[in-house]
Amino acid sequence: MRSLRLPGFALAIPAWAWLVTFFVVPVGAVLYFSFGYKPGIFGTHATDVLSFDRYAEALSPTFFEVFMNTLWVGIAGTLLCLAIGLPVAYWMAVKAPANRRGLLIALVMVPYWTNFLVRTIGWQIILAPEGWMSQLLQTVGITDGPLEILYTRAAVLIGVVYNYLPLMILPLFVAFDRVGPALREASKDLGANRVGTFLRVTFPLARPGIIVGLLLVYIPLMGDYITATVLGGAQGNMVGQLVASQFQAAQNWALGSAMAVLLILVIMVSAAAIGLLLWLVSLPFRARNRVVLEASA
Amino acid sequence: MTTATEARTVSPTDERDAASGSVELQQVMKRYGDAIAVDGLSLTIQPGEFISLLGPSGCGKTTTLRMIAGFEQPDAGDIRISGRSVLGAPPYRRDVNTVFQAYALFPHMTVAENVAYGLQQRRTPKAEVRQRASEALDLVQMRRFADRKPTQLSGGQQQRVALARALVNRPSVLLLDEPLGALDRQLREEMQLELKLLQSRLGITFVFVTHDQGEALSMSDRIAIMRDGRIEQLADADTIYARPTSAYVAAFVGQQNFFHGTAVEGGSAVESVHGLVRGIRSDRLAPIADGTSVQAAVRPEFVRIEADAAAGAPATGANRVQGTLLGVSHLGETMQYLVRLGDDQSLIARRPTPEAPDLAVSSAVSCSWSDASVQVFPSDDAAAAGGYVAPPTH
Repeated sequence: MRSLRLPGFALAIPAWAWLVTFFVVPVGAVLYFSFGYKPGIFGTHATDVLSFDRYAEALSPTFFEVFMNTLWVGIAGTLLCLAIGLPVAYWMAVKAPANRRGLLIALVMVPYWTNFLVRTIGWQIILAPEGWMSQLLQTVGITDGPLEILYTRAAVLIGVVYNYLPLMILPLFVAFDRVGPALREASKDLGANRVGTFLRVTFPLARPGIIVGLLLVYIPLMGDYITATVLGGAQGNMVGQLVASQFQAAQNWALGSAMAVLLILVIMVSAAAIGLLLWLVSLPFRARNRVVLEASA
Repeated sequence: MTTATEARTVSPTDERDAASGSVELQQVMKRYGDAIAVDGLSLTIQPGEFISLLGPSGCGKTTTLRMIAGFEQPDAGDIRISGRSVLGAPPYRRDVNTVFQAYALFPHMTVAENVAYGLQQRRTPKAEVRQRASEALDLVQMRRFADRKPTQLSGGQQQRVALARALVNRPSVLLLDEPLGALDRQLREEMQLELKLLQSRLGITFVFVTHDQGEALSMSDRIAIMRDGRIEQLADADTIYARPTSAYVAAFVGQQNFFHGTAVEGGSAVESVHGLVRGIRSDRLAPIADGTSVQAAVRPEFVRIEADAAAGAPATGANRVQGTLLGVSHLGETMQYLVRLGDDQSLIARRPTPEAPDLAVSSAVSCSWSDASVQVFPSDDAAAAGGYVAPPTH
């Protein structure tokens, strides 16, 4: 008797079903709504007349300013995560004793298991002008007056770096761990010092992991609005907050959708642009190390 | 900064001065926690010598190699390369290169880039990098694979690239950490020949770590048999094979039949339950007092075997035993006979195939050997490593 065999792609059906139901359809709806309008005080959206008007409306000077602010926080936050996460991940994967690695990974993960909002409010307490950090800095004499950092862009930056750092450290750890000690030893054996070994062996081999880490931090960070709401105040506005306020407070789904679509476009274009830039920067280095031998004699 | 450059400035016509390429280990000690990996090891390697460190896993041979390379620092003692102490010097400041067990080729670089890596690190001009990388790849016949990635190569080809990548730097000493272990037998034997030829052609000191006695015997000028972080015997292949200084070395290199018992006749013979096993007392070895526990070693190729005419009759005279043939195996050039002597002792005899007697399995056989083929050593339980050891008699 012939046994029933499903084709191989059947394995991906649950994932496809999930993706279509909860991603493709909602994003399609948002895209569709973004061409509509808000019909009146009590309606959220109408699509009987389609136009680009909501996009024009969304690209107002105020909105543009918030967009630039979001981009700034997004790029600076991602780079800070990289700057802090890279040495930590390298130390965990390369220098730390192998039997401590599990513990170190757990220490990185544990804060991440705590509720996002609770952790962010925690920072509100730390950064408050009357908070313990402020008092400590004044007692020690580093600052004269109370800490004036809460409800600024700097506070948002601190918050997002704290919230997204594990998403950077983990892929970097895996990437560095996978390179393994043998290739580093081979590099040193061939005359490369620590820096040379890192630049020509460890870093190029860890590059896919670094790219994953950058994307894992950059994309959710750009759309984040909890951190900005809790720590940002008026100066720390991010696009996510505007989108949320259009949907929830103003009940203008059409404008909110247009803003959301613009945000998605900005994230995609900026990520591609940064990738292209990094690739262009790497070209001269690649050319310098390339070795092409003439055909054998 | 490297010693090679200094050697060149001293004698521009001759690239290597007298000491260049020598390696000296003086009372080197290395511990990992409570475990002693290398225990006060001293060894002087001559320039241009092919030396093998041979021993079972855990004997400290790889740790010794890693200390010469600079991946590990000794806890005590001194290591001198080309006459200069390298204590505390990182691997990248030592005039040695390593061929690693798993090759450790850089997967993101082509074959040519792998080979060029060491030269690029030393800021060699581009034209010279290309020329020397080409030469090195020609040396191992891998030039036509220059643009491949290591993953597109077979194990033997990767091995050659690893060799070229190390040799292109013209090190005074080349360290090889079981480099042939991952190859199949035929390729391994080919590479053994090639390595030996390459070494004599280039005149570079080779320090070769292996647990394969055949590899060590076929290539080395001298072999250091290691045990528990020390050198048990250091000699050329002939001496190691024919005149081992301990039961451990005798058992590790080649195969042995051991007869356990008590020493008689001034320590030159062993009284065992299978009769007297008599050898010729050598002055090289420490004297053995009569009555002490000893073991006699006879190599299978020295054991003559024949059908036993008087089956069941007791063995007469020394170096002669009777038993039952358990099996015959064809090893190619030789035939191997496994003979049961008693409940807990068997004996291996090996004869060249053309002159091997045709004996029936389960028949009674008689085995004998000459006095000159017997060596008597103090008893050593650990001597079971490697070679065949007949179980002890009670």
